[in-house]
Amino acid sequence: MNRRFIAVLIKETREIWRDPYTLGMAIGLPFVMLLLFAYSTNLDVKNMSLAVFDQDKSALSRSYITQFTTDDTFYLKGYASSYDELNQWMENDTVDTALVIPPNFGQTLTARRPETVQIWVDGSFPPTANVAINYMQAFNARFNYAQLAAIVGERNLKPAIDVQPSVWFNPGLKSINYVVPGLYAVILLAFPPLLSALSIVKEKEQGSIQQVFVSPIRSAELILGKLIPYGVIAFIEMLVILAMGIWGFRVPFEGSIWLLLFAALIYVFGAVGIGLLVSTVTETQVAAMLAAIVLTMMPALIFSGFIYPIFNMPEIMQWYTYLFPARHFVDISRSIVLKGADLRTLWFQMSLMIAYVAAIFTIAALRFKKKVG
Amino acid sequence: MIHATKLTKSYKKTPAVRGIDLAVKQGEIFGLVGPDGAGKTTTIQLLTGILTPTSGTATVAGIDVINEPDRLGGKIGYMSEGFTLYGALSVDENLDFFADLYGVPLSIRKERKSQLLAFARLEEARNRRAEHLSGGMKKKLALACTLMYSPQILFLDEPTTGVDPVSRRDFWKILFEWMQNNEGLTIFVSTPYLDEAERFDRVALMHRGEFIAVDTPAALKKQLTGTMIDLKADPQFTALAHLKKTPGVSHVQVFGERLRLLLAENSTLNLDETLQKAGARVIDARPTTPTLEDVFVSSIEAATPDAANHTNGHPPLAAVEPITGEYAVTVENLTKRFGNFTAVNGISFTVRPGEIFGFLGPNGSGKTTTIRMLTGLLPATDGSGTVAGFDILRQQKHIKPHIGYMSQKFSLYNDLTVVENIDFYAGVYNVPRKIRGERKAWVLEMAGLRGKERTLTGSLSGGWKQRLALGCAILHQPQILFLDEPTSGVDPISRRAFWDLIFELSAQGVTIFITTHYMDEAEHCHTLGLLYYGDIIAMGAPAEVKQNMKAGEMVEIDVAHPLRAAGIVETLPAVHSAAPYGDKLHVMVWGRADEHIATLEKTLRAAELPPHHIKTIDFSLEDLFVIFIEMKEAGRRAREED
Repeated sequence: MNRRFIAVLIKETREIWRDPYTLGMAIGLPFVMLLLFAYSTNLDVKNMSLAVFDQDKSALSRSYITQFTTDDTFYLKGYASSYDELNQWMENDTVDTALVIPPNFGQTLTARRPETVQIWVDGSFPPTANVAINYMQAFNARFNYAQLAAIVGERNLKPAIDVQPSVWFNPGLKSINYVVPGLYAVILLAFPPLLSALSIVKEKEQGSIQQVFVSPIRSAELILGKLIPYGVIAFIEMLVILAMGIWGFRVPFEGSIWLLLFAALIYVFGAVGIGLLVSTVTETQVAAMLAAIVLTMMPALIFSGFIYPIFNMPEIMQWYTYLFPARHFVDISRSIVLKGADLRTLWFQMSLMIAYVAAIFTIAALRFKKKVG
Repeated sequence: MIHATKLTKSYKKTPAVRGIDLAVKQGEIFGLVGPDGAGKTTTIQLLTGILTPTSGTATVAGIDVINEPDRLGGKIGYMSEGFTLYGALSVDENLDFFADLYGVPLSIRKERKSQLLAFARLEEARNRRAEHLSGGMKKKLALACTLMYSPQILFLDEPTTGVDPVSRRDFWKILFEWMQNNEGLTIFVSTPYLDEAERFDRVALMHRGEFIAVDTPAALKKQLTGTMIDLKADPQFTALAHLKKTPGVSHVQVFGERLRLLLAENSTLNLDETLQKAGARVIDARPTTPTLEDVFVSSIEAATPDAANHTNGHPPLAAVEPITGEYAVTVENLTKRFGNFTAVNGISFTVRPGEIFGFLGPNGSGKTTTIRMLTGLLPATDGSGTVAGFDILRQQKHIKPHIGYMSQKFSLYNDLTVVENIDFYAGVYNVPRKIRGERKAWVLEMAGLRGKERTLTGSLSGGWKQRLALGCAILHQPQILFLDEPTSGVDPISRRAFWDLIFELSAQGVTIFITTHYMDEAEHCHTLGLLYYGDIIAMGAPAEVKQNMKAGEMVEIDVAHPLRAAGIVETLPAVHSAAPYGDKLHVMVWGRADEHIATLEKTLRAAELPPHHIKTIDFSLEDLFVIFIEMKEAGRRAREED
């Protein structure tokens, strides 16, 4: 092995190892980030508060209300005694949803006339509002069938067509199973590019890199010697958060862990490559930090499909997302973890990612000159 | 070994280096001397191949560094400005890293490493992390790292700036010892210290990207025609004012109680007579040798006639109400500790009203900490003190209206215009509205910034910024002025103009408390305190401090090969230290010099290096500083052994 390259490698490793902050940031923060994100980006609709304005107060209205509170989707927060009170509860966020039962609800139903109830939903976050409406309509339908069955006098009345949903890959529809594999992509792009960019820019700021520039070292030796330790750290990060996903969050792992690790390895090199690229265009640590965040963290959160589905984006934005490696890795990671996908289905995404990493390194290496200014 | 023609580098439109021509021979120590922003670092970066010039050619060791910098690898060593080590690595690991980088064969590595560690006196520290070394030790280690791979040419960018004098001396000693064993090493070094430049074989004086003079220090000094005179006159201020107007007299400067001036060649001026007419009396006058700074200043004036103009003449200073009481500042056992670290270690001194009191010491010796305690910015850990009669611990609020403070790096807002800066400080210091306009006009006039009122401060050169900062600090006419390294990195003309102002302020009754790490500059002060790692190791008038040094004397020897001669005389028991200074050798001997001159001559003759001339010379303040520090260290060691 080349001694100059080894010298840089050893020097860099020693510096990282002796700097508790870098090491802590590299290993500890992903851990914290996974915990925070996994719990906070919960898209499941559960335990929504429900207020009821029951203007009828009959046996039927009570039985109708219980339809909504039999499982943990809604819980009954309280009964309102007027529209004003209900308005107030919605406005000051006391409740998420409300049910308004008109007067004479029981009588109308008994007289077999159609009746209308109102449901109010806080629509400030549309995805959950939609889910809430769907749930409420389903509960309403259930009550309708029960009524119909009573009228027809047949206990086991069945609708003409029943829908039998069969949910693939995430049968429990648990969003944690969806969020955690996506987080692998986000977290690996959060710190490794930043750390590797800082390691080069810090030396620029201190001036020590000038001495290395003057030495006979080749650019490639310097680049690899500096980046490999950060690549290794990033890979350790991956192992840590993968283990947490499997054993901590009990995300089912369907596919080959080796395939995921192989993909992660490529991805990690892309991540430190972005760091290298950032270091070639910035001169100060502050600038490098900002550039790294804008180039990695933000797109990883927004344009990777981690939270916001890409198919919902305008077409131009969909093309735009191809610019960021996180988009590919989110696909790959979810496919392997949830669907158990193998190389036969993933070869396209994998080759895209490899091409991407190669491109990043080529551009960065071309830009990286043993020159100041 | 180094050739450059018409080498130019411009950043955007600002030229940093303007068409310099250069030829450095093998084995030469070539010095690049100039203030901050003169283009020293850019020149070195161009020559080491890490910066591409706008135009021009350069070859180093026969290699075209502009087109084929990669072929240089291993032939040159480069120590960039500042601390360029890896702080998290130990001394050993740093040396190994550079050895690996340059492919030093393992067979010679061990021996060379122990040799360099011995030279640098870092053997005991070899397992310590570089970040835990003192500033001086870091510099020595950085040098050892570059010598590790035995380059043919060494580029050193301000290797000794802000380093304590002992470490600076050690630094040169390491280099000279190395050169004694590795003859033919070429050194290209930059420095802001003109006194240090006397050590070099040849010197280029650099100003605004150009070489305004290139020659040996001795030849440069010969260029200065006329006679340098060292004068003591009474009253000094009258003499100064008169001499400045007298034709045939130039370079008039105040050094504490003495004046220095250059009398033009063939001048028939009789100093006694002219001064008598002006109402002053000559007490003592004698010819003296010019310094490189004298040469630099006249070269700049000759090259750029406008340079001098904007510093000449300014409106008279407004009178300041003098401080009543015997002392302007008193300090008793003042101490500041940060955790385990003692920054200031129980110092005591007094400053009389109207005195220029100088604190001289390297970076990290406690200068700034002391000023911060006196100005009420930092509470003292222990001890007491008064400023303008008020207690520094309990009456900080009362002190502030009486003092002006100019911090390091001039504390101006670079993104504000000149006038906006003045307005800001006028507001901060609560200058009464009535006189605000008048004070503002005065500052602009004094700083030579008329017509530049709307210029962004950031785009001003160092000298202008410095005078503007001084103006802002005295807007409210304070009685005591604290100046923290006000002349760092400023060109010599501006420095002289600045000292003129300081002297005038002092003549008006303003007390000046000033810190500096320029050894030569300290001679301007009335009283001097040498500060070394929190302790005052010597104090008194510069002349007094020099006279009180009885331990030894300094001898200058004119000899064919100073480097080799240094190695020979250093073995004599009477010799404290010896170091080449350009084409001369400076030897410090214990006791009286006359007793040792014969021995020195005999020893050198025996070594076939007959001295052409031997004479006793004055100690420089740096020499003194080094001796005081060594005495202090010896005392400390003796106490520890008890």
